[in-house]
Amino acid sequence: MDRRELEKSGSPVAVRTAAALLFFAVALAPVRSYGQTPTTELDVTVGNSTEPARAAAVQLRVFGNAIAGWQYYAEASWAQQWAPRESDAFGSGYPYDKRVRPAEMYVERTLLKGRYLAGVRAGQFRTPFGLYSRSDQTYNGFTRAPLIRYGSYWALSSNFLEDGVSVVVGTPRLVVEASAGIPQDHDQYRRRTGIDSTIRVQAAVGDIVVAASHIHTQPPAIRRFAAGSAVFTGIDARWMRGGVQLRGEWIDGQAFGGTRTFGGYVDASVHRPAMGPVTAILRAERLDYEAGRFSSYPRRYVAGARVRLSSVAVTQINLVHQPTDVRLGGLSAVEFGLTISLRR
Amino acid sequence: MRRAFLVPLVVLCGVSTPHARGADVHGIALVGGKPAPNAVVWVEAPNAPKEPGPRPVLDQRNLDFFPRVLVVRVGTAVAFPNHDRVFHNVFSFHDGKQFDLGVYPTGTVKHVTFDKPGLSRLFCNIHPQMSAYIMTVDTPYFAVSDANGSFTIAGLRPGTHTYRAWRPGAVEITGSWTVESSRSLEVRWP
Repeated sequence: MDRRELEKSGSPVAVRTAAALLFFAVALAPVRSYGQTPTTELDVTVGNSTEPARAAAVQLRVFGNAIAGWQYYAEASWAQQWAPRESDAFGSGYPYDKRVRPAEMYVERTLLKGRYLAGVRAGQFRTPFGLYSRSDQTYNGFTRAPLIRYGSYWALSSNFLEDGVSVVVGTPRLVVEASAGIPQDHDQYRRRTGIDSTIRVQAAVGDIVVAASHIHTQPPAIRRFAAGSAVFTGIDARWMRGGVQLRGEWIDGQAFGGTRTFGGYVDASVHRPAMGPVTAILRAERLDYEAGRFSSYPRRYVAGARVRLSSVAVTQINLVHQPTDVRLGGLSAVEFGLTISLRR
Repeated sequence: MRRAFLVPLVVLCGVSTPHARGADVHGIALVGGKPAPNAVVWVEAPNAPKEPGPRPVLDQRNLDFFPRVLVVRVGTAVAFPNHDRVFHNVFSFHDGKQFDLGVYPTGTVKHVTFDKPGLSRLFCNIHPQMSAYIMTVDTPYFAVSDANGSFTIAGLRPGTHTYRAWRPGAVEITGSWTVESSRSLEVRWP
């Protein structure tokens, strides 16, 4: 389906119309001022994997309150990986392509009126599908993105970015988020240009948050054979209490026509008072990519820890085991990452 | 010796605007001779009458706590609204008031009552770079210094008082001070 066909289908147009209406409604609403000053963060990460692979990355982000109740967020990243063959080590949310890249750059505003909320985000942002926020996927204890969130497995990618508009409406406990945009991915698995759309419905009950997402987007530009559309539907859930977080995602769909990709992961992080600076992490995941003789069925198991060494230094240690797959081979690796974070 | 070294200086300057029950005492917090923002200064008054005070708020906005240092009186309920689009999970495990608010979304508010004196260090379980401090004190006479190190303690009765002061990353210091006209309180860390 090309762009014209997609627009004829109506859904992106409807999303954009709704987004435009909400944009002006939110933009013209009364102003409340806040005293928070702009914040600047600098993260520097180095890592080593016995796969083997080495990596270094830098992210600089600035965020704060703009005018008239708007908030801004701007981030740039640079990262490089040294490996004899392709590896997704440390590729949890930024492209490792040796270039300075804009990551998320947007303005947003959220309004609360009684029991209801509405918000708009405009600019370049991470594709709002599943557990998509930066803090959910990057340098949070795991040295690799989930299989379903790394482009080379023909699924989604934590590096998906959109140029467009995202709107949220609902109540704090039940919210619908919709976005329309143009893919602006920066890694080698970037999608083709064109209009794409996502919708996500999220409900929170007590300490449990569940959501369903759907995305209709462009296929990867990396291969000529990748025709048609990329379409995925997913569910995700999260529970957190007493320093224990359990979460998971499951997706089903296609990265391009004639294929099917489904799978997901569950993971846990545990940080109890007696553990001091240590947060233990565990993850189990599977992914099935069905494409005839190119099919692959990777599984992966991760155990590790995130250790806060000081107020600015955090280390991550992961044991990664990926049983042998007919097409992809197998992997057992020990991975170590160190991140220095400065905030002003 | 160390304690003596840390005893703050008291200098002349200003007590202003006599209050119905006392005076507003102005002061400045310094570290190494430079202004010390986010310093908490309080004057001991364990038998001071309980009066309803303001309802303090520790906001979560732009992936940060605001303010980063808050001081409240024992028994005060603090509101923790989430104004970010992402979830937050505020918790305090180390000392002071220990709690875990669980995960909650934008637009919602949770409350915690700080029922004993002491320092609570707060974090977000989802965003490890977020941190804040809440100092709980058993007195109605307290303040937090601004970006210039200045602070004002309202309604302090005349007389000689024992004060305490703390700021992030430093030891707590204490001293005595007499409320007099045109005198301000200077709290100094080396």
